[in-house]
Amino acid sequence: MSDEQIIQDIISGNKDAYRELVEKYQRMVFRTAIGFLHSREDAEDITQDIFIKVYESLKSFKGKSEFSTWLYRITINTSINFANRNKKNWLLQSIENLFDKSNNEKNPLELLETSERDHMVREAIDSLPDAQRTAFVLSKYEELPQKKIALIIGKSEGAVEQLLNRAKMNLQKKLNPAVGKTSN
Amino acid sequence: MKTEKYIEDLIQREKATEPNPYLSARVMAQIAKENFGKEDQPVITKTPVWQTVIAATSIVAFAFLGVLAGNSYSKNVSYEIAININDRQIESLDYYNFEDYE
Repeated sequence: MSDEQIIQDIISGNKDAYRELVEKYQRMVFRTAIGFLHSREDAEDITQDIFIKVYESLKSFKGKSEFSTWLYRITINTSINFANRNKKNWLLQSIENLFDKSNNEKNPLELLETSERDHMVREAIDSLPDAQRTAFVLSKYEELPQKKIALIIGKSEGAVEQLLNRAKMNLQKKLNPAVGKTSN
Repeated sequence: MKTEKYIEDLIQREKATEPNPYLSARVMAQIAKENFGKEDQPVITKTPVWQTVIAATSIVAFAFLGVLAGNSYSKNVSYEIAININDRQIESLDYYNFEDYE
C-alpha cells in the first residue's frame, strides 16, 4: 500500500491505518531528531509530538511532494525549535553519557574523555547555522543523497553541496584546536 | 584526521540508538486520548452581543426602578397616622383567666 493510499484511508475515517504510517517512518523521524537533539529521551518525545502534529494536519497534505519530504520538513522545524528552546545542560548530558549502556566496557577515565569529546562535537554541530546543520544532519544521520536534501530544504543541489562543505569546514575550525588539547 | 574520526564516531553511536519499541503504540494512544477528549467536550456557543446588552440594560433599569420606588414610598409617609394594634382585640386572653371558668 502506498503512502497516498494509506493517507486517503486515514482521512476517510480509518484511524488505525495511521499506525502503519507511524511504524514505517518512526525510525527516520527519530534518527533525524537525535541528530539535532543528541538525546534519546528528547528525540522520542519530539517523535511522538511530530506524529501527533502530522495526524492532525494530514488533511492539509496536498500530495505535491512526497510524504517523506513533508515529514522531514516538519521534523527539522520541530527539532530546531525544540533544540533552541531547551538547550540542555552539559553536565546533565555528560551524566547521561556516563550511564550509557554502550560505554560499559570503558574505564572511568576513558568514559570522561569520551564524554568531553562528545560534548565538544555536539556543541560544534549545534553551533552551525540552521541551514548547514540541517544539510549536515540529513547527510550524515540519514545518509540522504544531495538531490533529496535539496528537495527537503528547497534549495538547489549545488547550494546543498556548498552547505555541506561549509559545515565540514566550520566543524574542523571549531574542533581542531579543542581536539588537539584533549588528545595530548 | 582525528576530528573527522571523532565526529563520525559520535554520529555512528547516535545513529545506533533505537527508539522505544512501543513508540507507535504511545502515539496511537495519545491520538485516541486527544480525540476522545474532543468528542467529550461540551459545545460552547457564544452569546450574541445584543443579548448581553439587553441583560445589562434590564439589570440597570430594575435597579433604577427599585431606587425610584423606594424614594417615592418614603416621601408619602404620613407621620400623623400611627398604627395602633391592640392584641387584646384579636383574642381576649382574659377569658381564660376567669377563675370560675371551669
